[in-house]
Amino acid sequence: MKTGIFICHCGHNIKHTIDVKKVSEYFKKFPSVTVSEDYPFVCSEPGQDMIRDSIEKQGLDRVIIASCTPSLHGEMFKDLLKKSGLNPFLLRRVSIREHCSWVGDDVEANTEKAKRLILAGLYSAAHYVPLEEKLVDVTKSALIIGGGVSGLSAAAFLSKMGMQVYLVEKEAELGGHVRTLKNIWPARKEGKSIVDEMVNELSGRKNVEIFTSTTISAFEGFFGNYQVTLNTPEGEKKLTAGGVIASIGFSPFDPGIKPELNYGKDERIITTLDFEKNGDAIKLPGKPRIAILHCVGSRDEQIGKPYCSRVCCINALRVAEAVKDKYKDSYVESFYMDVRAHPRGGEEYFEDTQEKGVLFTRANVAEISPTPAGIVIRGEDTLFSETFEREFDLVVLSIGMSPPIDNKLIASLLKITLDKDKFFLEAHIKLRPFDTAVKGIFIAGSCSGPKDVEESINHGRASAVKLFGFLNLGYAYVDPFISYVDPKRCSGCRMCEQACVAKAIKYDETKRVVHVEEAACMGCGLCNATCPSSAIGLKGYIDCMIDDEISAFLEAI
Amino acid sequence: MKGRKLKKGDIESALNEFLKGDQHLVLGFEKGENGVSPKIFKGSLDHYSLLNPVFGANAALYLRRLFSKGCQVMLMLRPCEIRAYVELQKLTQIEREDIIAVSIDCPGTISSKDKKGDVPTEADQLTDYFKSSDSMRWACSVCGERRGVVGDAGVRIDRNGNFWVIPYTEKGETLLARMEGESEEVPAEMLIGESKKADKFQVDMETFDKDFEKCTMCMNCRDMCPVCYCIDCVFHGDEYIPKGDALINKILRSGSTKMPQGKELFHLIRMYHVSQTCVGCGACEEACPQGIPLTKYFKGISERLQGMFAYMSGRSFDEAIPYLTFLEDELKDAED
Amino acid sequence: MGEAKKKDGVEIVGFACSFCTFKASEMAGSLRMKYPEGVKLVQVPCSSRVDPAFVIKAIFEGADGVFVAGCHPGDCHFIKGNYYTRRKIAALKEMFDAFSMKEKLRLFWVSAAEARRFVEKVTDMHNELKERKNEREKA
Repeated sequence: MKTGIFICHCGHNIKHTIDVKKVSEYFKKFPSVTVSEDYPFVCSEPGQDMIRDSIEKQGLDRVIIASCTPSLHGEMFKDLLKKSGLNPFLLRRVSIREHCSWVGDDVEANTEKAKRLILAGLYSAAHYVPLEEKLVDVTKSALIIGGGVSGLSAAAFLSKMGMQVYLVEKEAELGGHVRTLKNIWPARKEGKSIVDEMVNELSGRKNVEIFTSTTISAFEGFFGNYQVTLNTPEGEKKLTAGGVIASIGFSPFDPGIKPELNYGKDERIITTLDFEKNGDAIKLPGKPRIAILHCVGSRDEQIGKPYCSRVCCINALRVAEAVKDKYKDSYVESFYMDVRAHPRGGEEYFEDTQEKGVLFTRANVAEISPTPAGIVIRGEDTLFSETFEREFDLVVLSIGMSPPIDNKLIASLLKITLDKDKFFLEAHIKLRPFDTAVKGIFIAGSCSGPKDVEESINHGRASAVKLFGFLNLGYAYVDPFISYVDPKRCSGCRMCEQACVAKAIKYDETKRVVHVEEAACMGCGLCNATCPSSAIGLKGYIDCMIDDEISAFLEAI
Repeated sequence: MKGRKLKKGDIESALNEFLKGDQHLVLGFEKGENGVSPKIFKGSLDHYSLLNPVFGANAALYLRRLFSKGCQVMLMLRPCEIRAYVELQKLTQIEREDIIAVSIDCPGTISSKDKKGDVPTEADQLTDYFKSSDSMRWACSVCGERRGVVGDAGVRIDRNGNFWVIPYTEKGETLLARMEGESEEVPAEMLIGESKKADKFQVDMETFDKDFEKCTMCMNCRDMCPVCYCIDCVFHGDEYIPKGDALINKILRSGSTKMPQGKELFHLIRMYHVSQTCVGCGACEEACPQGIPLTKYFKGISERLQGMFAYMSGRSFDEAIPYLTFLEDELKDAED
Repeated sequence: MGEAKKKDGVEIVGFACSFCTFKASEMAGSLRMKYPEGVKLVQVPCSSRVDPAFVIKAIFEGADGVFVAGCHPGDCHFIKGNYYTRRKIAALKEMFDAFSMKEKLRLFWVSAAEARRFVEKVTDMHNELKERKNEREKA
C-alpha cells in the first residue's frame, strides 16, 4: 500500500496549535506511508499540484488529507484525485482544524491528538476500495414552499430557465407580509406593487403551477426525486420534485408575550405592522406626541430572542418619518438600545430622520401604561442614568421577526434542522448559506433568519441558482455509500429487512439470503449494526474501518 | 382456559396416530438403557418418555435451518426448547408452517455431566426427587418459565398427576382433534406453578474476570447456544479476535498481550447479540469444558434487557424482537 | 505520550452522526469552543450505524468512556434511524449497568445547531470520568 499523507497548516489556523512537522515526521516511519508532507495551504493551487504530483510520480493508492473538516472542500479534493487518475473514494479527509487545532490550546496535547486522528484515517483508509459514484436521474422540477417575495423570486428565476416550478402557498394570496407593506424603503414603493410585478412575471409561464391555500401533507424520497403530497382546496395532489426551496418567511413578533407593554389593552399602543396597515386612519391631535420603541422582540435574552431582527430600526425610522411628514409640529421620540440601520443608505436615512426633528433617546423602557390622558412610558435613560416618565398620544412598537409558525412542521417534513433561534439552519454560515444539510433542499428568505425585502429577493434568487445547478443536468452523482450483502455470510434471519426504514432489503425465498435494492438504500447503516454477523455492510463505513479507527484512538503509540 | 384431560398413555397413542401420516416425525425423548435422551421418531414411538430429566443440549439447536416442506414435525419438548424454537422461527431459521410445537411442563433437569441412573422420569417423582436433592441444574432452579404454556400447545400436569393437553394456536387444536374425549376447564392449580421473579442481575468486571479466568475461548458455548444461529460468526474474522498475522500486527502496535485475548469482547458482544433471544436454558454452561457459570451472566443480562421492553423470548410468535421495532415515545431515561 | 496526556489521561470515543452531532462539532470548532483533547470522534452516517459491538470494543481496548450521539428523536435524517439507536444503546446501557460500569456509556442528542450543547455534553462526561479515575487512583 502506498499512502500519501498531506498535512495542512491552514496558514496559522492549524500550525498555531499543532506541531505539524512532528506529525508529518511521525508518519514517515510507517511502511504503508510513501509520502508524509506538511504544507501551508493544501487547498491552494500549488498545494493541489503537490498532491497530484505525488499521486502521479509515486503511484500513491491512498491519499489522506489532514486539514479542515471533511464537509469543506470535499468535492474539490475528490476532483483532484479524479484528475490525478485515482478513484476519488480512496481519499480520506481528517479534520485536524475544527476537531483539533481550534478546540484545544495545548500544543503538545493537540499534536498527539492530531497524530491519532490521522492514524485512524490511515488504518481506516487501508480498507478502502475504489467505489463508483451512483448516477441517479433527476426530475427537472422544483418545489417552492412559500409564496412570499423570496419564493416568488426563486420561482421567477427557475421558470425563466425552463424548469418546472410548483409554488405552494398556505394563504389564499401570494406575497406574504410584503403585500401588506405600504411604503417600502428605500424604493418608496407599495409592497403590493412589488408583489404584483413578481406574480405577473410568473403568470404567463406554462411551466409554473401555483397552489394557493395549500399545505404539504407528505414528503418522501431522495434528492432528485422527492415525492410530495399536497393538500389543495381541490383535494390531494401528488407530484415529483427534483429539489426544494423552503421560503416560508417569518412571523411578526407578538408583543403580547411581554405584559409590561400592555399591547392589545389600548388602541393607542400599536405595532409597526398595525401602523403600516391602518396608520392613515389613526386619529391624532394637531400636535401629537408619539413614542416609538425599538427592539421589541429582538435582542431580548429573557424571551429567548437574543438576535437582531435587522429590519425594525428602519421600520421605526419609517414610522417616525411618516408622522413627521404628516404632522409638522408633532413630538416624536424614539427609544432605542442602539440604532442599527443595516442596509445601504440606512445610516444616511437615520441622520435625515434626526434632522427632521425626531428625538432619539437611548433608554430601557420598563413599562407602558395607558391612562385616560395619554400613554405613560416609564424607563431609564441609559446615557444620563436617570429615570423618566413621559406621556404620549400614540406608542408604536417596532416589532422584530420571529421564526415562522410552521418551522417545526416543515423542518420535520423535509428533515432539515432549526438553529438555536428556531429559524432554518444553513449547511455552512459562510460557504453554503443557501444549502441545508439535506442534498437538494435549499432555504431562502427570512425563514433562515431576519432579512429585509431586498435581501429576501436576492436570497431567493441565489437559492434558485444553486438549485438550478443541481437539477439542470437531469442526472446527478450520489455517494456510493450504500449497503451490500455478502450472501455467503448471510444467515437469512431477515433482521435487517425488518429494521430497514427505507424498505430497501429484500429476502430471496429460494436462496434464503437477503439482497439490497440499491436505488432505495439511504445509506444509514442501520442494517449493518443490526446484523449480528455483519453479513450486510455499509460501503465506506464497514466494520473493520470503524473498528480500526477505534483501535487507532486507543492503542499505545 | 379449556383443555383435554388425558391419561398418560393417551398422549403416546395420539403421537403414534400422528406418526402414521406420510413424512410425519416426532422430536421428543427416548428412555434408553442409559437414561433419557432426545430422539427423532419416525413410524412409531419406541420407549417414548414425555419428560427428560437430563439436560445435555437445547433440542431447538437441531432444528436450525429447517425449511423442508411437506414433512410434518411434532415437537414434544421442554418449555425452554420450544421458546428457542419460537425465537428461531421469528428469525426465519425454521419454517413454522409444518411444525407443531408442544411444550411440556418441566420439573427441572440435572446436568448431563452428572448423569445418574437413579433419576426418576415421572413428573411427581421427579418433583419429589428435586425436593430431596440439590442436583438440579442452576439454570433450571432459576428458570423463568417451566410451565408448558408456550408454542402451539402445552402438556400440563395437575396436582393429581393427570395430564392436560391445552391448545394455544389453531395448530394446537389439530393435535387435540387426534385425541378422544371432550374439552373441559383446566384446573387453576397445577403441579408446576409460575416461576419466582429472579433478582435483578448485578455483577462487576472484577467478578467477571475471576469467573472467566479459565475460559480458553473454545467457543463451545456459542456453538451449543440454540439462538446463536449465524452461519458465519463475527468472531471468525479478525475484527474482534485477530489471529495469525492480524494478531501479530496488533501486538506489534500495542504491546504485550496475555493470551487468549478478547474474552470480554467475545462474551459481552455475544451476550448483547443474544440478549433479546436468550431463553436462559443454560446450554452454554452445559457445553463449557471449564465449568464457567455462563448461565448466570447470559440469563441475568438477557432478563434485564428483555425486561426493558416487557419482552420475553419465545413467549409468543407475534412479539417482534425489540431491537427491530420501536415506539416514538419511550425510553426517556435513556438520554444523558 | 505528551505531558498533557499524563496529567489527564481520560480517553473518550464518541460516535457522531454526520447530519447532526458531527455538524455541531464542526460548528464548535469554527466557534473556537474548547473541550478536552481526550474526546475523539468517529463519524458515522447515522447513529443507527453504531453497532453496540463497537462500544464494547472501545471500552475493552482502553477507552474510559464512549458516547453515541445523533439527531434528536424525530429529527433523524434517515427518518427513523435514531429510534433504533435509542433502543439498542439503552439496552447496552442496561447491560453496562449490570456490569457496574454504566458511567462509561452515554447517549445524547445534539442537533447541528447545538455546538454549545455538544461541548457541554462531552466536557461534562469527561469531567465525571476524570473525577472517578482520580478517586480510583487515590484508592
